[in-house]
Amino acid sequence: MGKSAFGYMFFGFLLMGVVVAMSYPSTKGENLSVLLDNPVEDEAYHKMMDVLMSPRCVNCHPSDNIPKQGDDRHPHYFGMARGENNLGYQATNCTTCHQTENNRYSGVPGAPEWSLAPDKMKWEGLTRNEIARSMLNRQHNGDRSLTELEHHLTEHELVLWAWKPGVDAQGIPREPPPVPLEEYRAAVKEWIENGAIVPED
Amino acid sequence: MKISFTINGTAQSIEIADENTPLLWVVRDILDLKGTKFGCGKAACGACTLHVGGEAVRSCSYAIKFVEGKEVTTIEGLGNEQNPHPVQQAWIEEVVPQCGYCQPGFMMATAALLNKVPNPTDEEIDQNIINVCRCATYYRMRKAIHKAAELQAVMNASTETQTS
Amino acid sequence: MSKKRTSRRKFLVRGTLGTVGVLAVGTYLFRNPIRRVIAGAVDSGETPYLGDTSSPIIWFEVTEDNRIVLYSPKVEMGQGTFTSLAQMAADELEVSIEQIKVVHATTASGNMDSFATGGSTSVSSLWVPLRELAATMREMLKNKAADKMELPSEQLTIENGVVSGDGKTMTYAEVAQNVSEWEVPDIPDLKDMKSYRYIGKPIPRLDLKDKVFGAPIFGMDATLPDMLYGAVVRSSAIGAKYIDADISKAEAMPGVIKIIKEPDFVGVVANSLIEAENAKDAIEVNWKVERDWQTADIEAMIAVGQGEPFVIQEEGDAESLLNEEERIIVQEYKSPIGAHAQIEPNGALAHVESNKATIYMSTQVVKITRDEIAERLDFEKDKVNIVPTFLGGGFGRRLHTPNAIQAAVMSKIVGKPVKCFFTRKEEFQNDTFRPPTHHVLKAKLTESGMIAAIEHNVSSGDVAFGSPMLPAIAAPILGADLGAWRGGMIQYGAIPNFRTISWRVTLPFATSWWRSLGLLANTFAIESFVDELAIAAEKNPAEFRLAQIQDDTRGFRLKEVIKAVVEKSGYTDEVIDGRAMGFAASTDANTPCAQVVEVSISNKEIKVHRVTCAMDPGIAVNPDQVRAQCEGAIIMGMSAALFEKMNVEDGQLTPTIYGPYQMALMKHAPKEIDVVLLQNDDKPGAVGEPPLGPIGAAVANAVFRLTGQRLREMPLKLA
Repeated sequence: MGKSAFGYMFFGFLLMGVVVAMSYPSTKGENLSVLLDNPVEDEAYHKMMDVLMSPRCVNCHPSDNIPKQGDDRHPHYFGMARGENNLGYQATNCTTCHQTENNRYSGVPGAPEWSLAPDKMKWEGLTRNEIARSMLNRQHNGDRSLTELEHHLTEHELVLWAWKPGVDAQGIPREPPPVPLEEYRAAVKEWIENGAIVPED
Repeated sequence: MKISFTINGTAQSIEIADENTPLLWVVRDILDLKGTKFGCGKAACGACTLHVGGEAVRSCSYAIKFVEGKEVTTIEGLGNEQNPHPVQQAWIEEVVPQCGYCQPGFMMATAALLNKVPNPTDEEIDQNIINVCRCATYYRMRKAIHKAAELQAVMNASTETQTS
Repeated sequence: MSKKRTSRRKFLVRGTLGTVGVLAVGTYLFRNPIRRVIAGAVDSGETPYLGDTSSPIIWFEVTEDNRIVLYSPKVEMGQGTFTSLAQMAADELEVSIEQIKVVHATTASGNMDSFATGGSTSVSSLWVPLRELAATMREMLKNKAADKMELPSEQLTIENGVVSGDGKTMTYAEVAQNVSEWEVPDIPDLKDMKSYRYIGKPIPRLDLKDKVFGAPIFGMDATLPDMLYGAVVRSSAIGAKYIDADISKAEAMPGVIKIIKEPDFVGVVANSLIEAENAKDAIEVNWKVERDWQTADIEAMIAVGQGEPFVIQEEGDAESLLNEEERIIVQEYKSPIGAHAQIEPNGALAHVESNKATIYMSTQVVKITRDEIAERLDFEKDKVNIVPTFLGGGFGRRLHTPNAIQAAVMSKIVGKPVKCFFTRKEEFQNDTFRPPTHHVLKAKLTESGMIAAIEHNVSSGDVAFGSPMLPAIAAPILGADLGAWRGGMIQYGAIPNFRTISWRVTLPFATSWWRSLGLLANTFAIESFVDELAIAAEKNPAEFRLAQIQDDTRGFRLKEVIKAVVEKSGYTDEVIDGRAMGFAASTDANTPCAQVVEVSISNKEIKVHRVTCAMDPGIAVNPDQVRAQCEGAIIMGMSAALFEKMNVEDGQLTPTIYGPYQMALMKHAPKEIDVVLLQNDDKPGAVGEPPLGPIGAAVANAVFRLTGQRLREMPLKLA
């Protein structure tokens, strides 16, 4: 095949791919993934996922019903677990110790609605792409639309806690996520504006 | 700042500069109720457990500003010699305490448990009662918790009979 | 009631360890035999009461409402001593148990204890003296009643503190009224054991209600008007020396009354605890730290062979027999640094005035503390009064409480009462830890599968040495640390050749008394090893031991508890339904104790379902409290065997909080604990510590049968 013929065929496939891609709905339906590789979205995507995969987030998205603590992600001491409603056990629940603010005397972190993420939002042990797909899956993400998802990721107080995580029992400040808050917010918005594309595995 | 709340049934109002002062120190040092104990100050041992709005709270990790308008109950308010709470009665009958320092925290945690789960299984006890006792009186505590559940059931039954 | 007295009869107080040590100085050249004699005496746990027992009126007080107050020189830290002492006193005094109230004797009350509360000696050391005091007091009251009632003393009877005769009655309170001089008679005969109402009965604890209703009885609860709060800056680094401090920021902080800058410490006094802690955090201290210690350093120091060796037990010729190469079985065992972690931290409320000081605190050593504070304040000793409070846990942690000195200094400087306590982190890092140990055991079996020779090498950080409880002269005299080798001797006296060698290591951080001292680690090592030998000899572990115990009183008592525990537990070597049993036995201070545990494994987690414990403490003054001590000690020993461990990381002792310092919780407590009490001695012996011995090895022995894994290091973790 000659060079120009190959080039025409390549362009033709590309065009077809774009047409095929554009024919997929991007705001409704079960699976919002698109099989196209876009480097600009990738950077925003990875910034966002760097945050979401940090201990400050994954620690409360366990896959075994046990919250994790610390950068070493050890299981929460004293056997605390999900319980029946993500709030721990009947009489010894999250709010027995965790209040709506960080406590600098005890080193116990706090934020409004402190609890475990529901089991459907388990992230521990998943790859970033698996987490992202789970986030976009309305059966997993609390039936959130893309707009609602964006709001949750950028405005929910419990999520924002990660950037002001307080001090631990030793009085040492906890590590916030590896991307500053405003950069993260911008990355989330950008990723969603550009179609919330999850790269291929 | 001024904080107003109810403690053991009595209205209380205090003036305090640091609104983040843990409730534990207000209870112990300002209100002079020494039954609630300091063990670690890090919400790890449970010796500071009391009730806020009937729910178990570790008071060393609870800022006084959050108590505004709430009802606090400490071991002194749970019951007394003339009118012991079933948990306290059971603790006495089973002769649970050794050094006794951690016991109020355990009794408050147990009372909160029995409010939610009137007849807890051993497993529910293990999950909910996670305070630390160095004298390791757990063996008798477990018996006392089951006894307290029985005593509470009897008490509730007779109260119902009286009011019906 | 007046405290004057006319005549006095002195009770003979037997010599202290220090006294025996001094006697031995002259025979220093023959120190090996002397040391072994001392070691034997210490091992038997016979500890005399060291205090003034000359007159009952410094021990008892009669109140106007006809009750008796007993001033206890031993402190109550949960071990139930107050109740046992009350039972002993009530029985001889002829009052009901409801009439007796026990309070802590202050150092000013005259009957101050010169020793300490610890070593499981409170009831045993006071068994005779206290009953004699109570009986003497009864006779004093009876004689005075005879005077007042104008009747011969022989005609009087006493019941529940009421004296009767010839139709007349008089209460003890009435007898004691307006009396300023008492004649102290000769000690009367003590009553027959059979006639005791309270001794031997499971009387409910006297302090039960205070502890259930939240009465302010602990050291941390003490309060005085105008009280201020202190905080002392302490370094996290091992061996840090205080050089100086920048207090400028701290001085300006809210609530600060004064920053205290002494040559040896810097601290702050403020209006509230939180303000004191906040200001303390703002003090910048210059510490000199020589070295960043690590766990590996400590383990290297502790290895058998590194420290100074002392032979503390020798029979036959174990040394040569075990030097042969053939058929020698050798194993090593280890135990980690253990923290006390008692829930009430150390601290004190000190009220120092111009010419006297009163200190309210939880302590196990009232005399030593008083003396140390008197020295620091430059007061006469009788101007310092230690008022002990109920302890929120002792366990040996409070056998040295010098932190009270700082509270006293701060109070002296600010002229007001100052309350100063450790934070939990400081409590962990300034603990006087249970030292780590390393054991090497060697043995040789005979053709018929009995032990021909056995040797136990125990290397340990100091326990007794370095403690202010021992005179400095004790260390060179004794050589081996008597706390470290406690429980380390071979207790199977029918073995023809045995030897115990204690290797002494002094570590760079404080190690001292932790409930049962060396018994926990030593029994773990020995009883695991003997189990391994029993298996090698293909013998039932209990019978293997029974066959090698000597025929004397001590041997008899040990055999009886072993037989009792085997029978009660239904001990078997077989694995049934995923559960296995493990057996171990020890003798601590003359109290033998044998335990059988029933264990299963789930996800590599060792679960203890049932513990059967047979113990012979001699007379059980309060059998229910003896049981309670067994239950608690078993779980505490289990906690050490399965979970607890301190590390040294970059110069710091860590962890410093519950959780990371893992301990047994409710969910770990066995569902069944059966305690069988035997009585094969005619006096009360040690109770609080002996049950800690067997549990670690019993669990390890059960785990081996279940998994084939022999765990030789505490905390026990399955691979």
